[in-house]
Amino acid sequence: MLNRSLWQRYVLPFTLLLELLALATLAGDYVLHQFNLVWVGRYLGIPGTLLIVASLYYSARKLKWASAGNPQTLLKFHEFGTWLGSVMILIHSGIHFNAILPWLATVAMSINVVSGLVGKMLLKRSNQHVSARREQFKSEGLSAVEIERSIFWDSVALNAMRQWRKVHIPIFMVFAVLAIGHIFSIFLFWEWV
Amino acid sequence: MSRTLKIILFVTLCLIGMLTFAYAHLMVAPGPLITEHQTLNGDCFACHTAFRGVDSAKCVSCHQTSSIGRLTSKGLPIAKPSTSATFHKELNRQDCVSCHSDHQGVKRYQVTRKFDHALLKSETRMYCQNCHKPPSDNLHQQIKSECAQCHTQKKWKPATFAHNKFFVLDSDHSASCVTCHVANDYKKYTCYGCHEHTPANIRREHVEEGIRNFDNCVECHRSGDKDEAKAGHSNYRAPQPYYPSRKKSWLNEIFD
Repeated sequence: MLNRSLWQRYVLPFTLLLELLALATLAGDYVLHQFNLVWVGRYLGIPGTLLIVASLYYSARKLKWASAGNPQTLLKFHEFGTWLGSVMILIHSGIHFNAILPWLATVAMSINVVSGLVGKMLLKRSNQHVSARREQFKSEGLSAVEIERSIFWDSVALNAMRQWRKVHIPIFMVFAVLAIGHIFSIFLFWEWV
Repeated sequence: MSRTLKIILFVTLCLIGMLTFAYAHLMVAPGPLITEHQTLNGDCFACHTAFRGVDSAKCVSCHQTSSIGRLTSKGLPIAKPSTSATFHKELNRQDCVSCHSDHQGVKRYQVTRKFDHALLKSETRMYCQNCHKPPSDNLHQQIKSECAQCHTQKKWKPATFAHNKFFVLDSDHSASCVTCHVANDYKKYTCYGCHEHTPANIRREHVEEGIRNFDNCVECHRSGDKDEAKAGHSNYRAPQPYYPSRKKSWLNEIFD
């Protein structure tokens, strides 16, 4: 198992998870169109946003702004809540392409989902994987140069993941500002009562 | 987060903010405005009131309800009006967006927005002919009473006219109206529109049974059931409004 590349063990399943997100979005969109429920998509942005906001409690817990709750459980909820919330928002966005601001928010959210998945689902395990391989080659008596050569592509993948991880919070802030702008514009111009 | 990244993010967001204010019709509007309102592009508050949506009073300030459908907002006659009904002045409250939208993105959903007759003043609501032309077929031409005796204000169809009181449209008689009511004349009917019921066949079958008076088929046959008439052919039978054991046709769905 250890000899299987980082790509096969982690990157491929991660890619499949992203594809599942896209498939869930397309399936949701298809179902709404089939049952003449396209109007529902207009309102899916609300539960989607609420789910993402609720799942941010994990971030508050991690930053010690809040003390209640098991971090492991909260992390699971953060992953699930943001994934499902993103699906809802993607369906909501796909239903209508009207204005630029909400679409910028959607793009920022999509980048955020990818960086979040990379950071939380791949980076830690990939780090362990590369360290374990390095240790294994060392125990087999390979020189430092040979070890680096053997794990070259894994290191490249790992570095790429680290970059994604770095953009998670900044991109989230961009997403948050754009989403708030979009929501504010809806309240400003739409009749809610 | 590095200081440089923070600055880049801040500048980007400020730029997007400025673009939103400068080009609101592109950045936040749900699709372009209709052609006639293109001059209002970017002037959102010409129609919208902050946090209260579209203010119908603003619409009415240009579009007077008494002339909608007849005159343009500038008072010129409309060459090809989309409707001849001038019912806007008969509405019990002005709620323009319940039927209209000026943004293309919102207009797409208007198929689900049917005109709600409850918006009409109660004294106007029953005068259907103010807005609707009565159908020109003979059935409707005969009717002098209110449309509501058969139709609802939500949908024209299904109507509640009970054809079964006269003849059951079962699966053997799932025909179009003109098969029996030639030229849409609902005062008359003929059973000879169908190849099964040729005059010669009908005559032969009835004469064999000793029946001489068979001009008015539905006097005895109120459905396609032969046995129904055999029970007492010469006697007039009271209408049987419904035959639950018989297979229903799509026509029954309409008329029941």
